[in-house]
Amino acid sequence: MFLINCPYCGERDQSEFSAGGEAHIVRPKQPTELSDNQWAEFLFMRKNIKGVQFERWNHSHGCRKWFNMVRDTSNDKIHAVYKMGEKPPIK
Amino acid sequence: MPNWNSAIKKIDINNVASVNVKHHSELFISEVEPIMKLNVRGKSRDFLSMIGKILNIILPTEANTSTTNEHITALWLSPDEWLLFKNNVTNRGTEETIIEENLYKNISQKKLGSVTNVSDQFVMINIQGQNLYELLSSGCPFNFNDFKNKKGAVSQTLLNHTDVIIYNEEINKINLFVRRSFSAHLWSWMNDSARFI
Amino acid sequence: MSKNLRITNNRFIDQTSKISFKFDGKTLYGFKGDTLASALLANNIHLVGRSFKYHRPRGIMTCGSEEPNAIVQLGKDPSMTEPNTRATEIELYEGLEASSQNCWPSVNFDIGAINNFFSPLIPAAFYYKTFMWPANFWKLYEYFIRKSAGLGKSPSQPDKDIYDHRYLHCDVLVVGGGISGIMAAKTAAKNNLNTVLMDDKNTLGGTTLFQQNECFKINNSYSNEWIKKEIKTLNSFKNLTIKTRTSLAAYHSYNYLLARENLTDHLDLNEKKDKIRQRLWKIRAKKVIIATGAMERPLIFNNNDRPGIILSSSIKKYIDYYGVKCGKKISLFTNNDSAYETAISLNNSGVSVNSVVDIRDKTNSLIVKQAEKLGIKIHWKSSVVNTNGYKKINSIEIMKLSDDNTATVGKKIIEECDCLGISGGWTPRVHLFTQSGGKLKFRDEDNVFLPDKSELDQISIGSCNGDFELDEVIKNSVKLTNNFLKVNNNDYENLEIISSKEIDKKNIWLLPSDIPLGKTKPFLDFQNDSTANDVKLALREGFKSIEHVKRYTTTGMATDQGKLSNMHALGIIAETAGVKMGELGTTTFRPPYTPLTFGVIVGRNVGEFFDITRKTPMHDWHVDKKAEFENVGQWKRAWYYPIDNENMHEAVQRESKAARDSAGILDASTLGKIDIQGSDVSEFLNRVYTNAWSKLEIGKCRYGLMLNEDGMVYDDGVTTRLSENHYLMTTTTGGAANVLSKLEDYLQTEWPELDVYLTSVTDHYGTVSICGPNSKKILSKVIPDLDLSDKEFPHMSFKNALIDNIKCRVMRISFTGELSYEINIQSSYAKSVWEKCFDAGKKFNITPYGTETMHLLRAEKGFIIAGQDTDGTMTPVDLQMDWIISKKKYDFIGKRSLYRSDTIREDRKQLVGLLTEDPNEILEEGAQIVGKTNKQPTEMLGHVTSSYFSPNLNKSIALAVIRNGKKLKGQKMFVPMKNKTISVTITDTVFLDKENKRLNA
Repeated sequence: MFLINCPYCGERDQSEFSAGGEAHIVRPKQPTELSDNQWAEFLFMRKNIKGVQFERWNHSHGCRKWFNMVRDTSNDKIHAVYKMGEKPPIK
Repeated sequence: MPNWNSAIKKIDINNVASVNVKHHSELFISEVEPIMKLNVRGKSRDFLSMIGKILNIILPTEANTSTTNEHITALWLSPDEWLLFKNNVTNRGTEETIIEENLYKNISQKKLGSVTNVSDQFVMINIQGQNLYELLSSGCPFNFNDFKNKKGAVSQTLLNHTDVIIYNEEINKINLFVRRSFSAHLWSWMNDSARFI
Repeated sequence: MSKNLRITNNRFIDQTSKISFKFDGKTLYGFKGDTLASALLANNIHLVGRSFKYHRPRGIMTCGSEEPNAIVQLGKDPSMTEPNTRATEIELYEGLEASSQNCWPSVNFDIGAINNFFSPLIPAAFYYKTFMWPANFWKLYEYFIRKSAGLGKSPSQPDKDIYDHRYLHCDVLVVGGGISGIMAAKTAAKNNLNTVLMDDKNTLGGTTLFQQNECFKINNSYSNEWIKKEIKTLNSFKNLTIKTRTSLAAYHSYNYLLARENLTDHLDLNEKKDKIRQRLWKIRAKKVIIATGAMERPLIFNNNDRPGIILSSSIKKYIDYYGVKCGKKISLFTNNDSAYETAISLNNSGVSVNSVVDIRDKTNSLIVKQAEKLGIKIHWKSSVVNTNGYKKINSIEIMKLSDDNTATVGKKIIEECDCLGISGGWTPRVHLFTQSGGKLKFRDEDNVFLPDKSELDQISIGSCNGDFELDEVIKNSVKLTNNFLKVNNNDYENLEIISSKEIDKKNIWLLPSDIPLGKTKPFLDFQNDSTANDVKLALREGFKSIEHVKRYTTTGMATDQGKLSNMHALGIIAETAGVKMGELGTTTFRPPYTPLTFGVIVGRNVGEFFDITRKTPMHDWHVDKKAEFENVGQWKRAWYYPIDNENMHEAVQRESKAARDSAGILDASTLGKIDIQGSDVSEFLNRVYTNAWSKLEIGKCRYGLMLNEDGMVYDDGVTTRLSENHYLMTTTTGGAANVLSKLEDYLQTEWPELDVYLTSVTDHYGTVSICGPNSKKILSKVIPDLDLSDKEFPHMSFKNALIDNIKCRVMRISFTGELSYEINIQSSYAKSVWEKCFDAGKKFNITPYGTETMHLLRAEKGFIIAGQDTDGTMTPVDLQMDWIISKKKYDFIGKRSLYRSDTIREDRKQLVGLLTEDPNEILEEGAQIVGKTNKQPTEMLGHVTSSYFSPNLNKSIALAVIRNGKKLKGQKMFVPMKNKTISVTITDTVFLDKENKRLNA
């Protein structure tokens, strides 16, 4: 059970949060102009790597805000959390 | 007037100050009589100042805190969301309607944000006594170590898997807000838990 | 044989309070403070169980949680019994009843013991190998294997005990109340840290508590006296919580730990009632100090499993702590100094020690010299090669070791004894450290795995960190604790410590015997009955990985998780395979450290509290009307209202008929309701729904379909424009929370530029839905001021109204195809408004109907239920709802996916109606649909999603999804069932009132 530092509310138990998959996948502004393959790239393709990964999380049982997290999936270490729209603090 | 019905117990409590007072070794749990609750949302400076002007209250912008004046308390829920509630019951209906309509007219209709009546969205339960935090820690992962001593502190968290808003009114006295449909179950759980405190 | 093996001058057991208990039906006595094991030993009972595979007699072997043999069944009532409890951990209480496991008819005469004589025929993986073939015989084998499998008996009745959960947050958690744990906890508490100290025993102090030996002194006191004073000082700290009888079960990431506290297990039967038996502590600690100590290793030699063979340190605890002699003529067998502490303790208590058999050459440490001074005989460089005695050891055979330690030489000495203490050195308890993800390192010098690197804020101190000598334990624990907590506690500086130092170390994993290895029984895992020979066999058969050997031989897989056996298994594997132990790694230690009861895992989430329940404001009314309830998500919804012993079908037929013939009333409060305000709401709705919203007038309602980005239907509902910038969206009951969360997601991440605010008002409003041709008349009685004319208040519009001065919103919308109104009113008044409507409708036979009737009525109209007729693979086109997809809108969620190569396929499964050939035949929901019945393999074309008998059409109707269904209208299909095949015809999805005349009836 992680201890997650919500960028708005502070440290909270993982049970207050829900995970929302890979971060920094921007919804295309003009989907209708994309080919099937381009749209599929946005819709289906996710990295799911072992190691440092950028993820979206929602403080669903708290402030209901979405934010981003940098987490190492091999040891569950959370390297950073940052608000939506902010640049990742780590490469 | 149609009958007012508590979500927690099958009794009509029109004109009854509080119900279901449970006394259990330094623990008192009671449902607070229905009072006006409003959810307000907005982001702009104009929104904040308009609320301030109408209610004579500064909405808290620091996370997990609250502000209060003679009539109204404002709880921080998120950077653009607050829960306002009346500190006590006055003539139910009239005064509340005036406040709500005034805010609606000046916030929602002027496109500064939203004003939503949530009086019945939440049931407000008052818990007090020395063992209050033991009751909460039976089903709540939140760390109350600092919260306990911080009057006015606010936390949205889970209690027995149910979303709650907890407001530290005074030392060893909290108000807990739970969605109405969950309230009977949570109430029952709290009473059961209190047996073991 | 004398039955009292108790010495009288004992300081820990209250010999004035006698306790009676029953073991295998026999009444025995012990004292307050005893464990079941110590009380049995005091009664000279060693034989307590039979081994798992060979049914060999087994006795108590340890004094703690690592016990592999003394596993007993607790409780006299077979329906409430508890299996697999360790006698060494059960504190004695008045009324305790326990019995041996894995033996029949009794522990003294066990029929299964015949397996022991056949044991050469039952090697490692015997079951895997034997019952593999012939394959179809498995049915036969299974019956017998199941009968003999497993340990103990499970209870057949629900657990009556009460269990609880509690969260705990602290600055420092110290696990283990031995000498290092006590010093660490005191250091933390002294520095104002919120500290918790826990230990699984009933007292603090660990083994130091009874260490009264000249060789171990602190500041001129015996170490036991010093520790007692330290324990006393702990009471003065308000910020220190001490939890005894609390066993740490699991150590997870982010310093999240689970511990089980035993609250009543030690109480007399009549004191246990109505109290919490066990509590699971869910702990979040900023820092964790592990001080769990070490456990003694056995030695692996021929017939090392006889009752009466006990770990040497346990014999010491039984005599020093419980005042119980494990025998009258005790021999000791060791490879290290600690057995000499036992020898001295026994000697001091007047128990004669036959001899100490030591595999080392002569050594001269302080403690050995003291033992020699007391006249204790020592066989140096010798080994026990065999033991004798079936149900209890009666002699040992001793031989000298050869110079290369691979064989025994010289004359065999037979020594009579009734107890043999064995000590194979010490294993640090690193289980918790590794559970938390910590990596181990290996110390060659004494063959121990020690904590190395960890990602978490934690340290290990004391003997779990590899410090075994008293002076090192103190010195290093203090230093490590101070550094870890960044404090400077100088309480323990300049202590004057006397500590015997072990000088010589020697280890032989599998001790040689004069008998050929294949004919010996050197047990490794006592509980699962695997021997060193089994491990060697596995290696010969080609298994190399420790994880594979473990599973093949089942070594370390019993309820004790191999606490005693793992190190030797590793040692023997390394030796046989010729690799270094450190390189071999270890098997994984998994939580829980000791078994947990199901009760404590579940806590109070049982019965009423098994799951959350949500109730509507009218719930009590439904209860009063004897409604049956259906779970919809967490909601309790009225399902149907049976009258006079009606069954469900009869009730639903009556309700459905009434709703169409006159009037029905439905509690629709569970629908999700989202209040939406802001200047961009109409643009927002355009983006989230498939249809167009820009032109929705104030006061009007519109149905919307929401998709996922993949184009599949996600949710649906009616949204009403309340005023210029103010809308009310309804969602499905089950989808409410997810829809809100999804919409917030888009607003916060993709479209932050939109001025839109969402607030859930699901619970704020109760919803009363009245439908049927007489609904208008009924509503006009409830709200007389409201103009209900079709012109003023047409279908798909809304009005604000007052009911007795309370504001409400009335929507004229319909999910049944009937003229229908929904009143939304503050929840506190909803029940009373419901009753008012019901009273007003009595004249029209207004009939309350539940979810089942609602489903039937909408199916007659072909309206879908998201989640029933859709399953996340249906597009609006698949649902034949092309009309709801706006062609003009540039974009909405899921739009691009609607013309992916896969979604435009013509042969996708599509929603259709089905009529059965026999109008009285009702299809089963979920039933498969096929085109031909004689083709093999049968091609599944689709399945039934909704099916009812319609009382209004007087025939069976169904909705189904069928491949290419749109084009198959009028075609015959088949629904094969178990006993028959039902013929159906594909039809349109709308069965009733295709012209929608009833909406304005």
